[in-house]
Amino acid sequence: MGLLEVERLTRRFGGLVAVDGVSMEVAEGEVRAVIGPNGAGKSTLFNLITGIIKPSDGTVRFAGERLTGLPVPRICQRGIARTFQLTALFPEMTARENTRLAAQAREPWHWRFLGGGATFASAGKRADLALERLGLTALADVPAGFLSHGDQRLLEIAMALAQSPRLLLLDEPTQGLSVEETAQAVDTLAALLADGSLTVLLVEHDMEVVFRLADKITVLHRGAVIADGSPEAIRNDSQVQRAYLGGLS
Amino acid sequence: MSLFAFLTTQSLNALSQAALLFFLGVGLTLIFGIMRIVNFAHGTLYMLGAFVGYSVARSTASFWPALLLAPLAVGVVGVLFELVILRRLYRREASAFLMVTFGLALVLGEIVRLTWGPEALQVEPPQAFAGIVFLAGEPFPTYRLFLVAAGIIIAVAIWQLLDRTRLGLIIRAASQNPEMVSALGIDVNLVRSMVFGIGCSLAGIGGVLAAPLVTASVGMAATMIIDAFVIVIIGGMGSFLGSLIAALLIAFTQVFGEYYLPDFALAFMYLLMLLVLVIRPGGLLGKEA
Amino acid sequence: MARRPKYLRAWYGIFPAAMLALAPFALPLYVMTLLTEALILGLFAMSLDLMVGYTRLFSFGHAAAFGFGAYASGWLLLHTQLPMLCAVPLAALLAGIVAIGVAWVCTQATGVSFSMLTLAFAQLLYAVAFKWTSVTGGSDGLAGIPRRGGPFGFDAFSSRTGFYYFVLIALAAALVFCWALVRSPFGAVLRGIRENEAKTLALGYNTRLYKIAVVALAYGLGGLAGALYAPFAGFANTELVFWLFSGQVLIMVIVGGSGTLIGPILGAAFFLVVEHQLSNYTEAWALGFGLIFIAFVIFAPEGIWGLLTERLGRAGRSVR
Repeated sequence: MGLLEVERLTRRFGGLVAVDGVSMEVAEGEVRAVIGPNGAGKSTLFNLITGIIKPSDGTVRFAGERLTGLPVPRICQRGIARTFQLTALFPEMTARENTRLAAQAREPWHWRFLGGGATFASAGKRADLALERLGLTALADVPAGFLSHGDQRLLEIAMALAQSPRLLLLDEPTQGLSVEETAQAVDTLAALLADGSLTVLLVEHDMEVVFRLADKITVLHRGAVIADGSPEAIRNDSQVQRAYLGGLS
Repeated sequence: MSLFAFLTTQSLNALSQAALLFFLGVGLTLIFGIMRIVNFAHGTLYMLGAFVGYSVARSTASFWPALLLAPLAVGVVGVLFELVILRRLYRREASAFLMVTFGLALVLGEIVRLTWGPEALQVEPPQAFAGIVFLAGEPFPTYRLFLVAAGIIIAVAIWQLLDRTRLGLIIRAASQNPEMVSALGIDVNLVRSMVFGIGCSLAGIGGVLAAPLVTASVGMAATMIIDAFVIVIIGGMGSFLGSLIAALLIAFTQVFGEYYLPDFALAFMYLLMLLVLVIRPGGLLGKEA
Repeated sequence: MARRPKYLRAWYGIFPAAMLALAPFALPLYVMTLLTEALILGLFAMSLDLMVGYTRLFSFGHAAAFGFGAYASGWLLLHTQLPMLCAVPLAALLAGIVAIGVAWVCTQATGVSFSMLTLAFAQLLYAVAFKWTSVTGGSDGLAGIPRRGGPFGFDAFSSRTGFYYFVLIALAAALVFCWALVRSPFGAVLRGIRENEAKTLALGYNTRLYKIAVVALAYGLGGLAGALYAPFAGFANTELVFWLFSGQVLIMVIVGGSGTLIGPILGAAFFLVVEHQLSNYTEAWALGFGLIFIAFVIFAPEGIWGLLTERLGRAGRSVR
């Protein structure tokens, strides 16, 4: 039984089937990349898993428990953290404050309205650790809105990490990054994922990033899974090649 | 009174009420649709229309010039406000617009109070419609029939404007995608000023038409702004048809509610609004706020 | 928000606090009355700042909190034997509890719809205050509200000067509470909601509950201000629930400087001073104030306090 089990997940928008009976199983510690041409339904899949939209059909199970139908904060509390395609941060807060707020959500007294020094200390520690792992310690006191685009993407990952998630969903982490920034980000991510303690679901367009980081790859096309396997197998799959180069109707 | 007579008179009552509400709501929804601005001053502009109408009617001893000049005056005020103040805020966030139109409401409210005094003022309906007709044996003020007719005429006029004219096309396009419209070479700023002016004029028309019925008073603005927003919220922000339907819905609820449960008529309107917000947060026909 | 050095913050607090504490010994009676009213309105404005400045929830109906508190404490003081020390906090508590229901409804919506709902509730209360003559006195309101001393014969707060200290203590306590609140984990979440509610939700916070909580707190503190006003002025009427008043307190917050707690208190004082001074010269002072408000929104959205701290911050100290 995998950590994340997606069973025949479907989402229709009127006549359009954005996600079509997607099934997949992600084992604990695995780094699974979800790839596919534009409009394949990758972001919709993420939104379905994290509860931002409700499925038309199918279920999502996490650590054996049903996830589908729960509100967004509850799903997050189960141990799932995600980053967004369009960077979502708190622009006026410093990088450290951003990350600390993320970490705070996991504290038992996260809602304390008086005092809370202990909560802040504990959350702060986890935040600093996350920033360190992403190489952002030097920028900890910079307001997030002033960071470069690349650093902002990394900060979002740090925030997700600070929540000590069991499952991390990264939505196009290298999107909008320059070649150097991408290389840097991939190095950081590779180091992060090296020990196999994190389970990651990764949406990416950049194939080099995918082949460098992923243990397994799921390929979506028009909302449905057309291939699923090791990077080697996917690389040689003719269907996948046709989907990317066009021709597959 | 026979049931038929009762239903007829009360329904026409509701229709005339709906007409007034419609004038108020359609201007607001038009402004929101194009500019994504919620015009807090809308009730005050309505009130301004009533008072200007009063003055014009008194000085010319006739209602018709008032009907023409009051909306014009209010429209001009709107355009000036847009040019001088709103233009500076388009890059700011939505709350700035809320604040500034609220400020306008206060300033205009004070101007009205200082110019015309705190007392309610009586406006005479036009001679032609000052009397009574008999419907199914019951007396009914002719002026209310005039209101219903005016409502229909203006609703159709706006509909045609939006649907058939080039300006209407631009307005509808700009409400969906202002950047695109601007890229097509159309001066979006001009469109904005015009729409804001038209929206305010509509409030002014509502005010001057309402004046013979409810008297022009300083307290008008507060209740009208809420009514206007309830219409727009229920009908959907930015939807012309929505504001029409909502105006009818609210008017009928108010009129028949007032008859059967007079103390709760106010509550009905809020309950209706709450219900709609819970079921369809965007309003019955609206784009999301 | 700039990080002000610690010593600067303490300095801000002690000097004015001492001045306020010693005021009755230095100022004439009519100024003291004005000052007391300023403190009450300052509390009112500060309570709204919790919503507007810290959570970006714009309420156009905050007068409902004030009016409810005023009517509640007024009624308790008139119709029961409760002393002020009991009636006032009780009225504030009631306001906060009722506000939970109001908040639950209003937070169903966001943005403008939220603001409209708060206004609608205030109008509803206004209508109730007008119609429920047996309890609220209708358009006449409640009059002759006493500053009843007790318990145990303690009536130091019943005199003019004593009442001033009562208000001062209440405001100080509320300020300390709010100050602690915005620096707590709860306050950090409010800030998150203010800057990016969707992200805060995605981090696992039930933002709706937080919003309900802050609205209830804000209305409770606003109710405290109203509850103090009733024995201060001796009356409570529908004007205290009128939308104009809601607008005025919003102006106090914005002009004073939202999101700073102190700013709105200054804004309230500024408002009162202008009202008292200008109204001697012209009937159009409210008009002038509306124009000042618009000017602040356009040119100085950080408000008076924001302008002041910027100027002090630039005066040779490294703040960032």
